[in-house]
Amino acid sequence: MIAYSSQKVKEGKIVKVEVEFDDVIKKIRITGDFFMHPEEVLDDIEKSITGLKKDVSFDTIVLKIKNIAKDSNTQMIGVSPESIAEVLREALK
Amino acid sequence: MKWRVIGLETHDAYLNMALDEALSEAVRAGSSLPVIRFYNWEPSAVSIGYFQGIKDEINLEVCRELGVDCIRRWTGGGAVYHDSEGEITYSVIAPANVFPKNIIESYRLICGWLVSGLESLRIEAEFKPVNDILVKGKKISGSAQTRRRGILLQHGTLLYDLDLQTMFSVLNVSKQKITDKMIKSAEERVSCVRNHSDAGKTEVYEALVDAFTKGKEYEFGVWSRDELARAKELAEGKYRSDEWMYLR
Repeated sequence: MIAYSSQKVKEGKIVKVEVEFDDVIKKIRITGDFFMHPEEVLDDIEKSITGLKKDVSFDTIVLKIKNIAKDSNTQMIGVSPESIAEVLREALK
Repeated sequence: MKWRVIGLETHDAYLNMALDEALSEAVRAGSSLPVIRFYNWEPSAVSIGYFQGIKDEINLEVCRELGVDCIRRWTGGGAVYHDSEGEITYSVIAPANVFPKNIIESYRLICGWLVSGLESLRIEAEFKPVNDILVKGKKISGSAQTRRRGILLQHGTLLYDLDLQTMFSVLNVSKQKITDKMIKSAEERVSCVRNHSDAGKTEVYEALVDAFTKGKEYEFGVWSRDELARAKELAEGKYRSDEWMYLR
């Protein structure tokens, strides 16, 4: 199924998640008016989430995103790993 | 450090964004001084942030009807309607180490130049993190920044006049939903220079040039042949392409 969630997150910007899943996450698209440098890191974040089980925990998603952000020295403005994880968990409910 | 100022020009959306990217490459290569440029958009356009879905944000059908261009920016942030008459856009392109490492502080510094320009027109403005400038609590300017391979690019708009009807019709709100209530609500949140000053657009532009260059060594520059060629290549090959437009 395809689910969708959108929130104005506590860091101030809008995060939208569209996720296709059955038992596992098959496809995810994260959009919004936030800032992330370098921008291409969001593609890596989406890839790292694809294949996770649909009942993946909030903490695991946060850890996945943080690891990628750390590896590529990413700066996020108006969004955070926790915010993305929260919107994704909401979509997967 | 010496700056290169490129005075107010008018281009279409694709060339405007391509010129910013071509200048970033030139500054990185050392073939250009750090740049401050000012520009208009003709025809009017809607730009969306790098991470936004174009179909989510833009009413593509209305844009086609009105002849409004649509473009994905190289920077994050939100969707913006760039009216050909109603705004002045700036870009600042320089080595990132010229600015504070903290991104909010670097926004504060560059937006501070804009705030000074408005103050010289007797408009009291304030920077509101992350990337806005407010006058009497209403947004008059928004900016977006990226940093790539050691180069900082920040571009932003100053609203000179407002056309809320068109703004709402292109920003993916159906025509039926453009009610008086919605427009009133936007008027409560958004402002423009004309609401606070009788200054003409040329006067506003000159105030911005003075404020952006204050205390800086600078020269007015023109485009090199290589920069224009590269920008045209980026405009056609990247910014007009479906691959880029529908990236998300």
